[in-house]
Amino acid sequence: MIHSALLVVLLAAQSLSPEVLKHVADGMAAEKAGRLDEAIVAFTRVAELAPALAAAHSNLGNVYMLKGDYAGALKPLRQALTLNPKLAGAQQQLGYALLATGYAAEAIPLLEQTKSVDGLGIALFQAGRLAEAVGQLQMALDRRPNDPELLYYLGRASATLSKQSYDALRAAHPGAARTHQVLGEIEAVQRKLSDAEKEYREALRIREDTPGVRLGLGEIYAASGQWEKAEAELREEAIRRPGDAEVSYRLGSALLEQGKMKPARAELERANGLAPSMPETLYALGKACLADGDLAASEKHWLALLEIERETVLAGQAHFGLAGIYRRQGMPEKAERNRKEYQRLRIGGGK
Amino acid sequence: MRLSSFALLGGLAFAGPPVGPSFDIVTLDFRHEHSPSLRKHLIEAMGGGVALLDYDNDGRLDVFFVNGGGPAKAGFARSDPRHWNRLYRQNPDGGFSDVTEAAGLAAAGDGNYGMGVAAADFDNDGFTDLYVTSFGRNVLYRNTGKGTFTDVTGRAGVGAGGWSASAGFFDYDNDGLLDLFVTRYMDWSLAASKACGGGVPVYCPPATFPAIGNLLYRNRGDGTFADVSAASGVGRALGRALGVAFADADDDGDVDIFVANDGMEQFLFRNNGNGTFTERAVEAGAALSDDGKPVSGMGVDFRDYDNDGRPDIVVTTLSRQKYALFRGLGDGQFEYASLASGLGAITFIHSGWGTAFVDFDNDGWKDLFVAQGHVMDNVEKLDPSLRSHEAPLLAMNKQGHFERGGQAFAAAAGRGVAFGDLNNDGAPDAVMSTLGGAPVVFRNRGGGGRWLTLALRGTRSNRDGAGARVLVNGQRQDAGSAGSYLSSNDRRVHFGLGSALTARVEIRWPSGRVQRLAGVATNQILSVTEAGDK
Repeated sequence: MIHSALLVVLLAAQSLSPEVLKHVADGMAAEKAGRLDEAIVAFTRVAELAPALAAAHSNLGNVYMLKGDYAGALKPLRQALTLNPKLAGAQQQLGYALLATGYAAEAIPLLEQTKSVDGLGIALFQAGRLAEAVGQLQMALDRRPNDPELLYYLGRASATLSKQSYDALRAAHPGAARTHQVLGEIEAVQRKLSDAEKEYREALRIREDTPGVRLGLGEIYAASGQWEKAEAELREEAIRRPGDAEVSYRLGSALLEQGKMKPARAELERANGLAPSMPETLYALGKACLADGDLAASEKHWLALLEIERETVLAGQAHFGLAGIYRRQGMPEKAERNRKEYQRLRIGGGK
Repeated sequence: MRLSSFALLGGLAFAGPPVGPSFDIVTLDFRHEHSPSLRKHLIEAMGGGVALLDYDNDGRLDVFFVNGGGPAKAGFARSDPRHWNRLYRQNPDGGFSDVTEAAGLAAAGDGNYGMGVAAADFDNDGFTDLYVTSFGRNVLYRNTGKGTFTDVTGRAGVGAGGWSASAGFFDYDNDGLLDLFVTRYMDWSLAASKACGGGVPVYCPPATFPAIGNLLYRNRGDGTFADVSAASGVGRALGRALGVAFADADDDGDVDIFVANDGMEQFLFRNNGNGTFTERAVEAGAALSDDGKPVSGMGVDFRDYDNDGRPDIVVTTLSRQKYALFRGLGDGQFEYASLASGLGAITFIHSGWGTAFVDFDNDGWKDLFVAQGHVMDNVEKLDPSLRSHEAPLLAMNKQGHFERGGQAFAAAAGRGVAFGDLNNDGAPDAVMSTLGGAPVVFRNRGGGGRWLTLALRGTRSNRDGAGARVLVNGQRQDAGSAGSYLSSNDRRVHFGLGSALTARVEIRWPSGRVQRLAGVATNQILSVTEAGDK
C-alpha cells in the first residue's frame, strides 16, 4: 500500500499540475477524516488526470479497501499492477481483494509473493488445496495465536481434509477395521453411543490390534458414565501404546472419576512424564492430589499449569482450586486473590 | 371418596443381586397431573411433592401428594378432582384410604399450580400442619386435631406468590417457634413463558428467566408470621432455588440454610445468631463443582454421611454434572467430595431430584436414594444417551464410599421423594412422586442391622424438636422434616446401628439444653421429651 502522503511526494516529484496536487490534498484530508466516499471522488480524479501513474491507482484501490468495497478495489489495483507489476503494496491489496470477492485461485500467487500467510491459508482452503491450507494457517496462528478467523479456517480445513480422507477410506475399503473405527467416531460425535460401540467392536473383530479403537471405546464409555468399562478399554490401549500420553491421560482421568485417587495420580504422573506440561494433565493431577488429601502436590501442579497458561478456562479452574486450598490452609488473602482471578476468567470467558 | 388403594405392583419389582436392602414396590391410586402442552411451559416439568406425616397421631405415617393443575389455557384450574392434592391415611393393616375431602383439603384453589409441601407442627399444638407451595398462592393448612385442616394462610400471612418450590419449617432464632423458609424458582409467569429449541421445542433453561429471592417468615407465635426476607438478608441473594435443607453447619448452636439453585451457584446462608444470615457458599466451598462450574441444583440433603460428626451436603443435578457432594470439614467449611466418595462415578449420566441420606440397611452408614429422570421429556431426541425416565438410584454407603445398590428399579420420571418408616419396623421406606404418573412406594423388607428411631418432643424448644442435634453411638443427625425436593420427610430421627444392642444418645435441643441417655435398647421407636421445665 502506498500511503497518500507518499503519493503526494511522488506526484510532486513528477511536476504534476496544481490541479492534480489539489485533488490529492483533498483526497488525503477526506481519507484522514474518514470521509471515504469523498476521498474516492478525489483520488478517482487524480487517476483520471494522471492515468500513467501506478501509485494513483493503487491509492484509489486502497481507499476502496478501507471502505470495505473489495469489488470496487479490484479495477484500480489491477491497473496499478499493470503499470508497475512490482508494486508490492498493490500486490498484497489485490490478493486480499480477490480473496474477499471469491477469486481465491487468482489471489494465491499474489499472497504467496507478498508472504501473506494468513490470507494465503484461507485462499488455499477456499481453492480446495486443504493440506497446504492447514500448513499455512498453522504458520499464521504461530504469529497470531487465538485469532478467531484463523482458528475457524484451520478447523474447517482440518475437518474437511479429515472428511475427504475418511470418505476415500470408506469408498476404497468399506469392510476395513479403520472404516468401522471412523464410523464409530462419527456416531460418537452424534452421541449415538451404542451405535458407536457396535462400530468399534466390529473394528476390533476385523483387526484386534487396531490402534485407537480402544481409546474410542474408552471415551464413549466415559461419556455414558460407564467408568469401569472405560478403564478396562483404556488399560488395554495403554498396554499396546504405552508411550501415548493421551491414552495415559484418559486412563488417569477414568480412574479419577471413579475415586481411585492413588492409581489416578500414578497414571497422570506417567502421562505428565510422557508429554510434560500438558495443561489438561496438570489440571487433572491437581484434582487427583486434592481429592487424595495432598494439598501441597495439588498446589504444585496447578501453579505449574498457571506458568503455562494464564488466560484460559483451565487457568480459571486452577485458580478456583487454589482458592479452595488456600482457604483450607488459613490463607484468606491468597484465597481471595485466586478467587478473583477465577471470577475474572469466568466472567471474561477464558480462552 | 374413600378408596382402599394399597396395590402391589409385582411387575415393577425386579430380582437383583443381593447387594443392600430389597424393597417391595407398590403404588397408590393417586396420579400426578401436570397438564403438558406444546407450549413447553417449564412448570409442567417440575412437580410435584410428597409428605410423610402422622396427621392423626395414630402412630402410623400418612401420605400427602401435591398435584400440578389443569391446563395453562384454562388458567391452571383445580376444581376437577383429578387436579386436587391428596391425603392418604394409613390404615391399621398398612393399606391407605384417600381422606382428602374429609380432611378439608379438596380445594387447592384455581390458578395455584401445585409444587411442594412442608409438614410440621408450626403452632406447637401437637398436630402436624401442612404448607403447600405453588405457582400462585401458597397455602398453610392448620391441623385442627380432629382429622381436618383449615386454611389459615390469610391470617398467617404466608401466601407468598410467584413460583414457590420447596419449603421447610425450622427454628432459626431458637425461640421455640417454627419459622418457615420458602424457595422460589424464578420470576416467571404464563405471559412470560416460552419454549426454547430449534426444530424440537424444549423446556427453556432456567437462566432464560430472571432470578428471584427466597422468602423467610418468622413465626410470631400467635398464628401469624412476619416476612423477614429482607431484614434477615435472605431475600437479597437472587437465585433459582428448588431445594432447601437445614443443619447447624458450623456447630454454633443455630441452624444454617442450604439452598439448591438451578444452573448457578448454590447458597449457604450462615445464621449469624442475631436474626440475620450471610450467604457464603463460595467462601465455604459449597457453591460450585470442583471445576468451579455451576451445577443444576434440584434436590438437597444436609446430613452427616461419613460419620465424622459434621453435616455434609448432597445436591442432585442434571446429567453430565455428577451429583455434588460437599463434605463438611468443620467450622462451616466444605470440600467437594463427589469423586473421592465414588458418588460422581455412579451419577455422571443421571439427572436427580428428591434425595436423602438414609440408612436403609441399618449398617450404621447412611445410604443415598435419588429420584431420577431428565427434566426434558423429549431429551432422547436431542441426546440419545440420556433418558427422561430413569430408575431411581440407591447408592449404598460403604464406610463413606458409595456403590450402586443391587436391586433394579423400573424407570420413571421421578421428582419428589419423602422418606420415613411407614410400618414402624425400623427399616426406612420411601415414597416417590412421578411427573404425570402414579407414585411409587418403596417398602423396605428390612432384615439389616439394628436400629433406633427417636420421636422428639420439645418443651422449651419447638415441639417437633426440629433443629435438635442428635448423636447416637457417634453418628449425627439434625432433626427436621425438610430436605429432598418439594417434599417433607418423617420428622422422626432414624439411626442404623449395625449389631449394637444398646445406644448412647445425646440430644442438643434448639433451646441449648443437652440431654443424654445411656444404655438405650436398640430396635425400638423411642419418644424423648425435652427434659426440664418448659
